[in-house]
Amino acid sequence: MAAGAVTLPYILPTGRLFAATGSRIANHVVFCMFAGGVRNLESMHKADGNLMPNMLVGNESISSDIAPGMTSLPAPTSARLQTLGTLFKEFRYKQGPTGHFGGHNTVLTGRYDETVSLSQRPKYPTIFELYRKHSSPEQAALNSWWISNSLGPYPSLNFSDDPEYGALYGANYAQPASIITGMPQNPIQLDDVKLEKVAAMRQFMDNSFTTNVTAQDAGITNTLANRKRIEEFLRFEYDNAVSGQYNNFWGLSQNSINNDQVTVLFAEKVIKEFQPELLVVNMQDVDTCHQNFTGYANNIRKADFAVAKLWEAIQSTPGMANDTILIVAPEHGRNLQPNTIIDRYGRYALDHTSDDTSREIFCLIAGPPDKVKQNQLITQVVGESTDIVPTIANILGFNNEIPSGRLTGRHLGEAFY
Amino acid sequence: MQAFKQNSIGSFGLLTTLLFALAFTSCKKEELYVYEVNDVKVNQEKGDKVNVKSQTEFIAIAYSDIFGTGIDRNSLDLLLAPYLAFGDQKLIEQMIIKSFLNVPGADVPTKTVMDADVTKFITDAYIKFLARKPDEFELWHFQKVLNDDPTITPDMFYFAMLTSDEYRYY
Repeated sequence: MAAGAVTLPYILPTGRLFAATGSRIANHVVFCMFAGGVRNLESMHKADGNLMPNMLVGNESISSDIAPGMTSLPAPTSARLQTLGTLFKEFRYKQGPTGHFGGHNTVLTGRYDETVSLSQRPKYPTIFELYRKHSSPEQAALNSWWISNSLGPYPSLNFSDDPEYGALYGANYAQPASIITGMPQNPIQLDDVKLEKVAAMRQFMDNSFTTNVTAQDAGITNTLANRKRIEEFLRFEYDNAVSGQYNNFWGLSQNSINNDQVTVLFAEKVIKEFQPELLVVNMQDVDTCHQNFTGYANNIRKADFAVAKLWEAIQSTPGMANDTILIVAPEHGRNLQPNTIIDRYGRYALDHTSDDTSREIFCLIAGPPDKVKQNQLITQVVGESTDIVPTIANILGFNNEIPSGRLTGRHLGEAFY
Repeated sequence: MQAFKQNSIGSFGLLTTLLFALAFTSCKKEELYVYEVNDVKVNQEKGDKVNVKSQTEFIAIAYSDIFGTGIDRNSLDLLLAPYLAFGDQKLIEQMIIKSFLNVPGADVPTKTVMDADVTKFITDAYIKFLARKPDEFELWHFQKVLNDDPTITPDMFYFAMLTSDEYRYY
């Protein structure tokens, strides 16, 4: 379907008539959470120089006291992402505790939740569920991915506990660092015919099992054919890791690569292999700021570099190039006042405990010049975390299908033509 | 188990009663029998499994079922990592089981053994992995499947069973 075109209803092979989803701005969205708690002072206001030279224009030099703590990174090679879209410099995470999981929960559900729990899935449906359920026809799990740099509670963000949504509409979750360190090896070899026979025997067994099996007991479900593709992909990436490809990439030295970059590299691989319509990837290594400010500043630079590589991957992937909107935003900021920990460069560390500064973030929306307003800088306080989900829904054309009252934010229309 | 209990008067009493009845009434008195059934809990074993195995339990139990011994901690941790790190749990379970079944030492009967006694193969597999016997319909179905299709191997049957919904529960 061409983005922006109004499509006609069509008949599925099942004979069921579907009205195609509404007009789309683009056919793909990649949402990169520049997470871990990034303060606008260091990102947008460049208090220590331009730590994000791949995203932001300007060549402000890094503060001399922390410069020795910076890793050497390749210089930007393409246009700064800021010039390829609209930058909301004063975005806000307005409500709720400024915790990482709560912030993730908000930007993925479009709802603030004051009582978010680390041990529970989101109360409200995630963007993945909204996308899969309300797109017409419904979308396969292969089309939506949630790629996280850590485990803990983050796997649970691929679908919610909402009884009207749930695992049936969840995203494929992946945490690359664990996947590339250990996949089951040397499997029995079964061709497609044998796999179908196995599936038939398993189906008979499942049909005779009388316990009420709930969908989320086994996480999300891919089709048999898609499972095969994903399995091959996971094994291939594991083999790549064994051969050292995850230790030496993007022209980086092995000892400078951090987990954020590995995570984004894996996201690139997913983009190349599956061209998903909706992919969310996060980074959180900047959270070292609780005890190491200079390490935080350095990891902002690494994350900025990773975003640039993500953009390059999108633009070099047939099917996604010039048809993808990239959204970049932190989940929350950090406190104005430091804690008492001093790093080796004499800088005090920063926590995030819900002061006003910790609610100040940014949002960059980049995309094709005929769809996204280019080089637009919005310096007023405009937009908030809950606006990202409605914006993605508008881009992918299912916003009108979401039941009224489900979302509280708005489409960030300022960024689009 | 059904119990049977006869409640009657003793043989001497019975004779006396009969003589008395014949002498004075010429009528036959019915003996009193009381049938009782002991309480028996009838289980449909499939339905008894209502708890989902944790990821650790799944790996540890599958390893034990296939190799007849416990998995060591390092191997368990190695397999847990991708299990926790991917959203489609069944996909990872299938990958784990396929690998287990291909490891030397996996207790998988040969095709010859399976074909020699399909009924025993099926029954043994149900008992070993699902901790119950197959019901008549299951037995009949898989007898037919395995007898009719010579391309189905024991590891295929094991793979299906070890990745079935029932195996995920206890």
